[in-house]
Amino acid sequence: MIILKWTQFVIGTCLLFLGILTFLVQIFGVFKFKYVLNRMQAAAMGDTLGIGISLVGLMVISGLNFTTLKLGMVVIFLWCSSPVSSHLIARLEAATNPNLDKFCEVDENIRKVLDKEYEENIIERKDS
Amino acid sequence: MSKKISEEEYRRRMLVRMKQWINGEKDPYLGNMEIVPQHEYVPNKKKLREYHKDLDSVHDKAYDVEHNRIYRFFMRFYRVAALLCCLALISILLVEVSYLPPVGSSHNPSNNEVAAKYIEDGLQDTGAVNIVTGMILDYRAFDTFGESNVLFIATCTVLILMRNDKKKGKGSAQEEERRDSFYEPKNDSILQMIASVLVPVIIIFGIYVILNGHLSPGGGFSGGAIIGAGLILYLNAFGFEKTERFFTEKTYKWVSFSALTFYCLAKSYSFYTGAHHLESGIPLGTPGAIISSGLILPLNICVGLVVACTMYAFFALFRKGGF
Repeated sequence: MIILKWTQFVIGTCLLFLGILTFLVQIFGVFKFKYVLNRMQAAAMGDTLGIGISLVGLMVISGLNFTTLKLGMVVIFLWCSSPVSSHLIARLEAATNPNLDKFCEVDENIRKVLDKEYEENIIERKDS
Repeated sequence: MSKKISEEEYRRRMLVRMKQWINGEKDPYLGNMEIVPQHEYVPNKKKLREYHKDLDSVHDKAYDVEHNRIYRFFMRFYRVAALLCCLALISILLVEVSYLPPVGSSHNPSNNEVAAKYIEDGLQDTGAVNIVTGMILDYRAFDTFGESNVLFIATCTVLILMRNDKKKGKGSAQEEERRDSFYEPKNDSILQMIASVLVPVIIIFGIYVILNGHLSPGGGFSGGAIIGAGLILYLNAFGFEKTERFFTEKTYKWVSFSALTFYCLAKSYSFYTGAHHLESGIPLGTPGAIISSGLILPLNICVGLVVACTMYAFFALFRKGGF
C-alpha cells in the first residue's frame, strides 16, 4: 500500500512540475515574441497544455473521489473555452491587419474570404 | 352609482401624475420650471490668442531658471523636501508595521468575543453550515442589503451616463453598437457552437453556487457573478437580437426591484428591533439540508439575482447604451 501511495505521489508531482515547466515556456514565449499571433500561440499553449498537465497531476495525487471529477470538469471547461478565445483574437487580428502577408503566409482562399468580409463591412458602414 | 370626474381633474391627481412620471410619459419639471436653452460654445479667436500670449509671457518669466533666483531656489528646495517627506512617511509606516501583532497570535485584537460568538453559536443561531454566509446574511444582513443597493445605484449611474435613447438615424444605439464592433467577427460559428454548449453549464453552475450558499463556499455574490458571465458570453456569441427576447430593460427593472424589495421586507423586522433575540417564525430545519436555515436561502437568491442583472446591465450599457 505504501509503495502504491508513493508512486501515486511521485507521478502526480512529476506531472505538476511538467505543467509548471510548460507555464515557464509560455511566459518566456509571450515576452520573447513580438507579433500578436506568435505571442498568442505561446499563451494558448500554457492555457491548454500546461493547465491540463498540472490538473491531471493534481487528479493523480487526490486519487479516486469527487474532487477528481470536479478537476476533470475544470479541464474540459478550460479546453473548450481557451482555444475559442485564442481563435477570436486571431480572427480579429486577421480582420484588422491589412499587411498580414508580411508576418505570415496567407492562403489564397482565406485572403479572398477576408477581402470579401472587409468590403462587406465597409459597405455596411457606409449604409449606416 | 360611481362618482365621475372630468378627464382634466383626473389627470391632475397625484397618483396619475406619479404613474406618468414612472412610465416616463411626462417630465414633472416641464412647464413648471424656467429652463434656459443651452447655446453652443463659440470661441472668440482674437481673445483666445491674446490670452495664450499673456499666458506664455507669464510662463516664460516665472519659470526662467537662469534669471529667476527664487524659482531656482524653490526647485531645489522642493526636491529635497519631497525626498525628506517620502523618507519620513516610509519610516513612520515601517515603525508602525513593527508594532503590529504577529499573524495568528491568540492575543490579537481581532480574536475577540465577536469571532468566538460567531464560531460557537453560528450554527445554532442561523442554521447555516457555512459560517460566512450565516454571518453576512443573518448577523450582518443590513450590511449586505447596503451592498446590493450599491450595485443597483451603480447601474443607475451608468444608465444616466451611458444611455442612448435614439431609436433610428445617426447616433442611434444600434448604429453605435455596430460601429464599436466593426471589426469583430460576427456570427462566428465556432464561438456560437461552444457558447451553446457552455452557457447552460455556466448558468446551472451559478444556480448551484447560489442555492448551496449556506452549505458550501459561495453564495449570492459569486453565483450571481457566474450567471452574469454566462449571460455576457451568450450576448457576445449571438448578439442583442437573441438576448432581447428574454432580457430587456423592463426585465432588469422588475427583477432588481422585486429582489431588493423582498430583501428589505424580509429583513425589516430585525432592522427595526435591533436584530437579536427575535424569532423570524421560519423553522431553521436540519443543518446541512438544502431547505434549511430560514431566510438565508431566499436572501441568497435575491442577492444573486441583483448581482447577475447588474453584471449584464453594465456590459450591455457600455456596449450599446441600452438593452
